[in-house]
Amino acid sequence: MYLIANIIVCVCALTGFIYGVIKFFRPRQALYAQMITLSLGCITFGRLFNIVRLMTGGDLTSGFQLGFLGMVGSLMFFFSANYGTVDSLLDDRTKAFRKYRLIAFAAPAAVMIVYVLLFLLGDSSLLWIILGAVLSLFALPASYFNLKHLIFPDVDFGVVKCLRPYNLLALIYTVVIIIECFAMSRDNEILTLVCCCITALIAVTVIPLIVRGIKKWRT
Amino acid sequence: MENMIYILYICMFVPLLLSLPLMQKSSRGIMIFILIGISAALFISEVNGIFLQLLGYNSLFVTTTVTPATEEIIKGIPILIYAFVITDNREKLLASSFALGIGFALFENTFILVNSVESVSIGWAVIRGFSTALMHGICTVAVGYGMSFVKKKKKLFYCGTFSLLMMAIIYHGIFNMLVQSEQLKYLGFVLPAATYIPVIIILVLNAKNKKKSAGKNLKKKTNKEQIN
Repeated sequence: MYLIANIIVCVCALTGFIYGVIKFFRPRQALYAQMITLSLGCITFGRLFNIVRLMTGGDLTSGFQLGFLGMVGSLMFFFSANYGTVDSLLDDRTKAFRKYRLIAFAAPAAVMIVYVLLFLLGDSSLLWIILGAVLSLFALPASYFNLKHLIFPDVDFGVVKCLRPYNLLALIYTVVIIIECFAMSRDNEILTLVCCCITALIAVTVIPLIVRGIKKWRT
Repeated sequence: MENMIYILYICMFVPLLLSLPLMQKSSRGIMIFILIGISAALFISEVNGIFLQLLGYNSLFVTTTVTPATEEIIKGIPILIYAFVITDNREKLLASSFALGIGFALFENTFILVNSVESVSIGWAVIRGFSTALMHGICTVAVGYGMSFVKKKKKLFYCGTFSLLMMAIIYHGIFNMLVQSEQLKYLGFVLPAATYIPVIIILVLNAKNKKKSAGKNLKKKTNKEQIN
């Protein structure tokens, strides 16, 4: 089941990654979109590692393996896309936007609650508590900026509105991979498969959404 | 022989070092990075030895989980210093990163060759030469790309480089796992080329597009001048 789940995500993420490379890895294309494409690349490589590990007789639940870094890397790319490229264009740090900056903290708070409920209050092993903590740690800033850009008013550039669907998907992805991590800690194959299917759907739809968003923004 | 790795290092490092003064400036820069790559490989062999000892000589686990991380981090350090101190020019950084990766692969291949001299063949050399060199080159270039933002976009540099490092580590891990498996090792040999060729195609196409747009701009300029 783990193999099928990872193959589904890998194929969908690879499709999105290739589409993103064709669309955005050209001169004068948005760095934001390149970052999101690279995050899909990270998901692809992470899942490919899992697939190879399973096909060579290894398993994913008994200890730490590098495929986990694919999740971490994708969150970092989502974070750097929002924080490194768009955020400074939108938020001028004035008091007018303070409300949105504060509301956005709801996302990291939710991530923390999910982590505590799933990993700390359950009877997870130390390894999975640590892995869950690492994943949640990287999910905190990524989810903050995803929610912030989801609720932020469109004042000057009109870019926020166009990228809202992407930010919503990225937010869902963040929660889903934490749940997937929990499912793997319990060796729950069905829940892992469900999480992987959602991740795959997100991976395959995110680049077309970005393409549409950027097209809208420019017209 | 106990000190074989140091003997090999001296045999490779010293002649290349002596050739430096005779080189032109641009070639010298690349050669310096090849030398750094060779030195990094020697250093990592010691680090990996310690990890192997700590993890009970479980070489499969170490080579698929630990060494990709240690190797990519240590290969990234000289590039980071170069980007911070000397230049963050992307072209220079990518060329230097690739040279460092190649130097690393050169030493690694030679050491493996010396250690398993009875079982190697020309086929082994061809496969190993292409796959390992490309794999190390590609991984270091990926990290070098992130470092090119060190001065231009600091926000992107910190997170972007870290994410690219993650990507390089996973890629390295996949390669190590594939080449060690019996059934899938041929996929491992093909993987770096399968990554390298599309990247080269994209780079060539981008360069062509740049030339085309530069030519168009030049034509527009000359037309304007003629009208004036």
